[in-house]
Amino acid sequence: MDTTLSTPTTGPRLSHTEITNMASTYSHEWRAVCDKFNNAQDLSEVESRKDPENDPFRSKYKARELLREIYCSLKNFDVGENESVNDEADQRPTEQPVDGGMEESFGRGHCGDSPAGSRAAKLGAVEYYLGVNHVETEELSAGEEHLMNCMTLLEKCSISPENVSLFIQVRNQLGILWAGRDEIEKAQGFLETAEAMYIRYMKEDGQPPMDLTEFFVAEEEALPQQERTKRFEMAYTHTLYYLAQVYKNLEQYEKAGGYCHSTLQRQLEFNQFLPLEWAINAATLSQYYITKTLYMEGRHCLSAASVIADLAGEVPSEAAAQESEAEAEKRDQLRQKRAEIARCWIKYCLNLLQDAKKLLEDNIGELDMDRQAELRATRLKEEEEKERGRKSAVLFGSSDTFDSICGLEEKVSCVFPVDFEEARAIFLVGQTYVNQAKEYFEMDGHVTDHIEILQDHSALFKALAFFEEDLERRCKMHKRRVDMMEPICKDLNAQYYLLVCRQLQFELAETYYEMMDLKLAVANKQDDLDAHTVKKFNHLCSSSTKFYQMFLDSVRSPEGKWPEKLEDEVLRPALVAKFRVARLHSRLISSSKTIQLENLNRSLECYNFVVQYCKDNPEAKSAIETELELSEEMVSLLPLKINRLQANLASSN
Amino acid sequence: MASVRVAVRVRPLIKREKEVSAKVIIHMEGSTTSIDCNKKHLSKGTPGTGLKDRGRQSFSYDFSYDSTDVGSPNFVPQEKVFKDLGCDVLEAAFDGYNACVFAYGQTGSGKSHTMMGSPGDFGLIPRICEGLFCQISEKSQGDVASFRTEVSYLEIYNEHVQDLLTTKKSPENGSGLKVREHPKDGPYVEDLSKHLVQNYKDIEKLLHAGKAKRTTSSTGMNDVSSRSHAIFTINFTQARFDAELPCEMVSKIHLVDLAGSERADATCATGARLKEGANINKSLVTLGIVISALGGDRGGSHKGKRKKQLFIPYRDSVLTWLLKDSLGGNSKTIMIATLSPADVNYSETLSTLHYANRAKNIFNKPTVNEDSSVTVIRKLQEEIVRLKRLVEKNNQALLSPQDLSKTLKVEEKLHKNEVKVLELTREWTNKWGETQNILKEETVALRKQGIGVVMDSKLPHLIGIDDDLLSTGTILYHLKEGRTLVGRDEASSNPDIVVHGAGLLEEHCVFENRDGVVTLIPQTGALCSVNRLETTQPCQLTQGAVIQLGRGTIFRFNHPKEAAHLREQRKCCAVGYISNKEKTHLQRNASSTSSKLSL
Repeated sequence: MDTTLSTPTTGPRLSHTEITNMASTYSHEWRAVCDKFNNAQDLSEVESRKDPENDPFRSKYKARELLREIYCSLKNFDVGENESVNDEADQRPTEQPVDGGMEESFGRGHCGDSPAGSRAAKLGAVEYYLGVNHVETEELSAGEEHLMNCMTLLEKCSISPENVSLFIQVRNQLGILWAGRDEIEKAQGFLETAEAMYIRYMKEDGQPPMDLTEFFVAEEEALPQQERTKRFEMAYTHTLYYLAQVYKNLEQYEKAGGYCHSTLQRQLEFNQFLPLEWAINAATLSQYYITKTLYMEGRHCLSAASVIADLAGEVPSEAAAQESEAEAEKRDQLRQKRAEIARCWIKYCLNLLQDAKKLLEDNIGELDMDRQAELRATRLKEEEEKERGRKSAVLFGSSDTFDSICGLEEKVSCVFPVDFEEARAIFLVGQTYVNQAKEYFEMDGHVTDHIEILQDHSALFKALAFFEEDLERRCKMHKRRVDMMEPICKDLNAQYYLLVCRQLQFELAETYYEMMDLKLAVANKQDDLDAHTVKKFNHLCSSSTKFYQMFLDSVRSPEGKWPEKLEDEVLRPALVAKFRVARLHSRLISSSKTIQLENLNRSLECYNFVVQYCKDNPEAKSAIETELELSEEMVSLLPLKINRLQANLASSN
Repeated sequence: MASVRVAVRVRPLIKREKEVSAKVIIHMEGSTTSIDCNKKHLSKGTPGTGLKDRGRQSFSYDFSYDSTDVGSPNFVPQEKVFKDLGCDVLEAAFDGYNACVFAYGQTGSGKSHTMMGSPGDFGLIPRICEGLFCQISEKSQGDVASFRTEVSYLEIYNEHVQDLLTTKKSPENGSGLKVREHPKDGPYVEDLSKHLVQNYKDIEKLLHAGKAKRTTSSTGMNDVSSRSHAIFTINFTQARFDAELPCEMVSKIHLVDLAGSERADATCATGARLKEGANINKSLVTLGIVISALGGDRGGSHKGKRKKQLFIPYRDSVLTWLLKDSLGGNSKTIMIATLSPADVNYSETLSTLHYANRAKNIFNKPTVNEDSSVTVIRKLQEEIVRLKRLVEKNNQALLSPQDLSKTLKVEEKLHKNEVKVLELTREWTNKWGETQNILKEETVALRKQGIGVVMDSKLPHLIGIDDDLLSTGTILYHLKEGRTLVGRDEASSNPDIVVHGAGLLEEHCVFENRDGVVTLIPQTGALCSVNRLETTQPCQLTQGAVIQLGRGTIFRFNHPKEAAHLREQRKCCAVGYISNKEKTHLQRNASSTSSKLSL
């Protein structure tokens, strides 16, 4: 191909010479063009914000006029220059260039920095600005036409440092435009081509290219190299960001995640970020990785988030905050964002434990030794692979932050824990973040957030308990959960925090249930069901019942009436609660047959409720299939037990 | 009671629209609203794609109010809107619940007409207030209760809260008032002024004052009022004596004027934060929103797949934060979206319809993340199996229905059974009375589930389930490589397993173990069934099979090796076990390559 990039020459090789040549020839006119361009930029970017509501695009329209004038002037400049003669002939290709056929759009015809190429680029830039202007004033088809004109002009050129930025930016704009019309694949085509062009340019040339605005400035105002790099890289960062959105809209979440990651990484690399905002974004990305069970990536995001958030400075003291509003605001912002990052860390620890539990549990939710051995083995294998993968992953951090990020990563594992010791290490990290998050999200003022953190703390205990083999100690962990939730559940006003109250009630009921099972298992092991244990067992049983009952009562009307039809969001929980209460009643231990009978009858009543409700509301069936099936069986079987007991009772009297 | 009701209302064409001879593109039928796709819009937007006619798009709401033509019999007047929606709000308030009325719509779509109305044609807000004060005066007369009504009015612009009814100057840095939560009093705005009102006149005055402030504060900024939300809150306290005890009930009615979506670009935190559809956000400021939307496929929390609990640090907007006590739960939520009927407003109208369509999902949140622990279910399944076995025992002892089912006597006996229910019960009672001590033990065993004797056995084996109520032992028969004959005592061939009971032949059947594959071979004329299915042919046994010989001799077949294999399989396909409870139960026993038997 004769159209490859020209070999780099020494020194800056930009076509500013062309511009200056032109400037000397038409210096007066050229200065006027530059002024107009400046004016247009100012109108479009600054003045337009002050436009009145009834004439919202006033400044944009003015800018458009100026751009048109510039376009005409440029055309006139060229009259008399040799190549303009056959200009018209090849101006309109038979087909409009559409991206997709990559190779072709890589420059044919003029060399990018030939006079003809330079002229095309300048005209292309004006077309570009006109296109953007039309799009911004909601004239999409006109905007598209201008942008496509720009594409046509560029099509005749090879990529050069002068035009590469335009090559990319016009595609960015077309990507936005087509996405706005729901033609997402078309947008994808333009953006992917832009991406490929950047990669190729950087490989084959790589020197800081000219910025779009530089087409219309005097030589002395040319941008320094550093600024050129910054703007060019920024344009490409946007390409990646738009691609992230395109893939998200195409539901290719993995790709979208990758492009978000790259966008973040580039913001950091080119120092174009606000620490707090960046940190929050990275922390949020970690949550996405958690959904994909990519804990190494998740941890990397979180460590980077913590380190970068620290760049935002020290938290002003309380005293300083009292002195000045600005300090108070800063203090609040910093504390809040850091607490939020801590909360993302909590979720990381929690999900890591829960996912490990999922892998290790047998069908009754206990730790399965075989699976444990299995996981240990696969983990060994995977570790090596991961280490290799890590080298190819996009890593965050500049030279001064990289070490701190790694340091933070080392503080917590990113592989599934297989035993109590490993689980405990993760739990402890999670617990540290719980305490950190609670410092900002205090109960007073942040009720919902505070409770959410407590719920996570409780969930951390629960996940840890799974790994604990000693049943007594396991029971104590659940007791901790009860201790942190019960007082709050009592203090909360259900009128305002109904949802939270219900969640707490349900969780407390479940926790008591779990403790009850554990107590029994302990007693069974010792083969000793003494009066004290029975009492304890019954207490746990009733406590569990009590909280299920509280939950069920929250569904009632203020007059205490049970609704004929349960709302969708409480349907399953309410029926499950009934089902559990049924079970709990039948588990109470009593030596008195009369009480036993009473409990069994209550139990039957509850099973009956579930069955009857589903009979009356068949649409509810699918929500609690298993429980319903079991309830139906119990409804048919329990009477037998009851009869037997009754008979027993009768015969003993 | 948690309910969200969504209504859309379309106004008549206005003068300006008629002047440009705009066409009506909104049609309503019942609760459905449809919109004609605007060809002009399409052709203008996409020259390449031509005049694609996408026809009509329909949306279904709780109410679709057609108010395009006053003369039409279908015309929906203010009164009807109030009756459908406002009355519920009032009722909720007096019941002590919170209520929220949202109004949404493009500027000029008739939002304020629907909400406020005009003298002589009052809208929803005046009607609600009037209803409120009317009921108050009625109830106060009977001295049943006393009432206190306070209002506040605030505006949220760019996530900053401003008091619209205060004379005090808001803080200089524009950070606005703080939004907080109190454990007892719910979410609140710090330092927000509250104003006592006695009647609608008072309210009207405050509404006007607030509106005026909203406009003046917006000078210099572009179209603030359509980019900001405004919340007018009526705090309503009822005090009365309930059984001589003072009792107070507080409820709130929020009247929310939602920011219009028009020209609210995505960088502006107010209104629709992200444009719908495939749009790309230009500015990197929105990167966070894009990232937080990545978990798009984690929404589906279908059974078996745990929904991961995450923390997305993009806070609810101030609006949802402030209203969370009034959204979902026991509160009443109403949303009215107003529409212009004209084709010139096509895209705004369409986006309003979409927004209203999504409203239910926005407001309804799930209640409880219940822990779908399998243990409870598992244990209950065990109990059911135990109870079933009890039933079977009883049935066999008294009726042997399996046996009878084959004979003509079945119906007769079943009939007898029904007739003799009482008699049978008594008979049964006596039987149980005799075995009272054993029963006691059994109930203890029921309680002490979990205690068991573990018999390790690597060989396939049978476990005898004795139907004799007095029997307390359990017998395990190993099935060694080769043949194991089952028969009666008297048999000349010396059976390996000796059985007693009805319907058994001298040589009843053979269990043949070849390389761990166990086959049941019934002898001629022998009554054998596997898993309730009668068989006369050799039948290969699988783990957990229940074998019945004769009329009442039951064995359970355990195959530890197969069980271990099954267990492997189950690891792969986690949850498919529930349908066959008995099998699962047996599998579970076998899963520890041992049989756990209750004593």
